[in-house]
Amino acid sequence: MLVTKPASNVMVPNRVIPALGVLALVLVWLLDLGAIQPNRIVPGTGHGLLSAVGWLGAGMVTLTLAASILLSLFPLRLRYPLLLGLVGFSLAALPLLLDVFAGRHLPEASPYARSTIGAGFWSLLFLLSLMLIEIVGRLRAGRGLQLVLLVVIVGSWLMLLRGEGLASLSLVREFNARPDEFEQALWTHLALAFGAVTFSAGLAFVLALKMIRSPAWQRPVLGAVSFLQTIPSLAVFGLLIAPLGALSSAFPALQSLGIRGIGWAPALLALIAYSLLPMVRNTFVAITEVPENLADAGRGMGMTERQLFFKLKLPLALPVIIEGVRITTIQAIGLTAVAALIGAGGFGAFIFQGLGQAAMDLVLLGALPTIALALLADALFTMVGDSLKPTPATT
Amino acid sequence: MIELKNVTRRFGNTVAVDNINLTIETGEVCVLVGSSGCGKSTTLRMINRLLPHSAGEILVDGEDVNAMNPEQLRLNMGYVIQGTGLFPHWTVARNIAMVPHLLKWPKERIDARVEELMTLLDLDPATHASKYPQQLSGGQAQRVGVARALAADPNILLMDEPFGALDAITRENLQMEMLRIQRQVRKTTVFVTHDIDEALKLATRIAVMDQGRIIQHDTPENILRHPASDFVENLVGKQDRGLKLMSLRPVRDLMSPHAEPRQSVAGEGAIREEDSVRLALSVMLWKDLGEVAVFNARGQETGVITRERIIQEGA
Repeated sequence: MLVTKPASNVMVPNRVIPALGVLALVLVWLLDLGAIQPNRIVPGTGHGLLSAVGWLGAGMVTLTLAASILLSLFPLRLRYPLLLGLVGFSLAALPLLLDVFAGRHLPEASPYARSTIGAGFWSLLFLLSLMLIEIVGRLRAGRGLQLVLLVVIVGSWLMLLRGEGLASLSLVREFNARPDEFEQALWTHLALAFGAVTFSAGLAFVLALKMIRSPAWQRPVLGAVSFLQTIPSLAVFGLLIAPLGALSSAFPALQSLGIRGIGWAPALLALIAYSLLPMVRNTFVAITEVPENLADAGRGMGMTERQLFFKLKLPLALPVIIEGVRITTIQAIGLTAVAALIGAGGFGAFIFQGLGQAAMDLVLLGALPTIALALLADALFTMVGDSLKPTPATT
Repeated sequence: MIELKNVTRRFGNTVAVDNINLTIETGEVCVLVGSSGCGKSTTLRMINRLLPHSAGEILVDGEDVNAMNPEQLRLNMGYVIQGTGLFPHWTVARNIAMVPHLLKWPKERIDARVEELMTLLDLDPATHASKYPQQLSGGQAQRVGVARALAADPNILLMDEPFGALDAITRENLQMEMLRIQRQVRKTTVFVTHDIDEALKLATRIAVMDQGRIIQHDTPENILRHPASDFVENLVGKQDRGLKLMSLRPVRDLMSPHAEPRQSVAGEGAIREEDSVRLALSVMLWKDLGEVAVFNARGQETGVITRERIIQEGA
C-alpha cells in the first residue's frame, strides 16, 4: 500500500502572506503616506511614498515587502522565524517613515505647520499587523513570544513618538498640548468602564443565584435586563439626566459627591444597565448548565449544597462567566466613549471636541486609546479565561 | 444491615414505590432488578435520602435514616452511578479522594488510600493518578467511580446501574472485578440493574421489582428454580434456565475429587474449581471430551468432572 506522508506545514507555500504583501505594495504606492498641514485646521497637501520618504525610503519599504513575499513562497525550513524577524522589525520601525517624512517636508520657518498620517501609512500598518498575526499563528507561538512581540513593538513606537523627529506629527502635537488631560481621561475612562463592570458583575452574580434558587424570578429578571439592553444608549444617558438632576437638587448632600444630572453618575448607571444582560445571562447559563448527574454524584457522596456550589458548579462555570465579563468589558469601554456626551469625561471627550473643532487628529487621540484599551481587555480576559479552564483537551 | 419497612414513594399522583419490605443483611449483595420505571432506582435513592420516602421506615443498622443528617448518612455509603459522574475538573486521584477530603483526613493518609484503591482496581497509580476523567476509557472511568465510592471504606455500597453504559466485554471484566473485590472487602451492597444475567452473576439475593412492588426476593438459584410468577419466569428466560443455573454452580460442587492433590501442569484454559459448570460443559463439548481435569488456585490437579455427571445433576 502506498502511504503518502502528509506534507509538513513548513514546506507548503504560504498564500496569505503574499496576498497581504502584494496588497500592501499596491496601496503604499497608490495612496498618500502623509500630508503637511500649514496649521491645525487647513487641509494639508498629500505626499505619495516616493515624494514623502525619497528613493531610499521607498526602496526599503518595497524591498521589505518583496522580501517577505518571496520568503513566504520558498520552502525554507526557517522561513517563518525569518519572516517573524522581518515583519516584526518593520512594524517596530514603522514610525521612522513619518520621522523621515517630517524631516524632508516640514517647513522650517512656520511653527504651526504639522505632519499628518496618510492612508498609505495606515494601510501599511494594518497589513503588516495582519501578516504578523498570520506568522505568529503558523509558528504556533506561545503566550510568551506574543507578549514579547507586543512589548517590543509598542515600546519602540512609544520611544519613537516621544522623540524629537516626530514632535511635529499632529497626533503628537495634540497630545503634547494636553498631557494632563490625557492622563485624566485615561483614569476616568478606566474607572467608569471597570467600575460599571465590577458592580454589574456583583449584581449579576446575586441575580443569577436568586434565579437559580427561585425559578419564578427567571422570566422577570431576564426580561428586565433584556429590556434595558434594547434602549438606545444615548436615550438612557438622556433619560437619566432629569431624575438624577431632581434627586441632587432635593438632596444637596448628593451634590457634594458629584452626583448630578450630568457627569459620571448617570454615565455609570447607564453603563451598569447595559452590562447587566450579558453578565446575568452568562452567569445564569454557566451555573445551570453544569450537568445534573455530576451534582447527583456529588450529593450522593455526601457533599452539602454549599460544597457542591463551590467545589463543582463554580469552578466549571467560571470560564463561561469570565467570557461574559470579557464581552461586557469591551462593550463598556466603547460605551464610555459615548458617555462623554453627558460630561462624563474619558477618551470620548477628545473625540467629541475633535469633531467640534474639525481637528481629525484630536478625534484620533481619543479613538486610538479607546481601541487599544478594548484590545487589551480582550487579551487579558481571554488569558484569564484560558488559564481557568481546568480540563485539558481530550487526547 | 438495611431494612425497608412498608416504604412508599409517590410522585404527585403516581406511586413509584408501593409499600415495599426488604431486608438486606450485612455483607450481602442485594440486586434490585426490573424493567425501567419499576421503581428500583427510586428505592436505591431513598436509602441514601437523595429522595425522601413518602411513607414507611428505612433503617440502616437499626437507625432511622430520617433521624440522621443526610450528608453524614451519605458519607458512610459509597455511591456509584451510571456514566460515572466523575468531576471533569479534578484528576483521577482528586476524584477518588473526594470523600476522604470531605472527612478532612490528613494528606498522607489520603495519598496512601488513593494509591491502595487504584492498585485494588487495577489502575496503575503512576500513569493514571494525574489524568483527567475525559482522558480515560469508559471502563477505566468506571473503575475510578468504584474506587471513589470505596475511598472512605464505607460499610454500605449503593450502585445504580454502574455498568449500564459500558460495552459487553468491559462490563464482563468489571463484573468479575466486582466479585473479586467483594470477596476482599465484604460491603453490604445494593445494586440496581435491568440486566438479569448481571443480577444472577453478582447477587447473593435478588429482589425482582415490577410496578413499584417487590415480586420476589430470593437467592439467584431459587429465583431460577422457583419463579414466583409468570413475570419472573419471563424475566429469567423460561427455556434458558437450565444453562443459567449451570452458570451459577461452581465446578467444585460436581467434581470427583482425588484423594491427594496431584502435581500436574495446568495448561492455558484449564478448568478451575471456581469456574462454572456451564464453562466446563462447554469446554468438553468443544473438545469432544468425556471428562476434564480440575485444578485449584495453586495449579494442582484436585479432581475430574465428567460430562455424565453434569447432564444428570447440572441444573
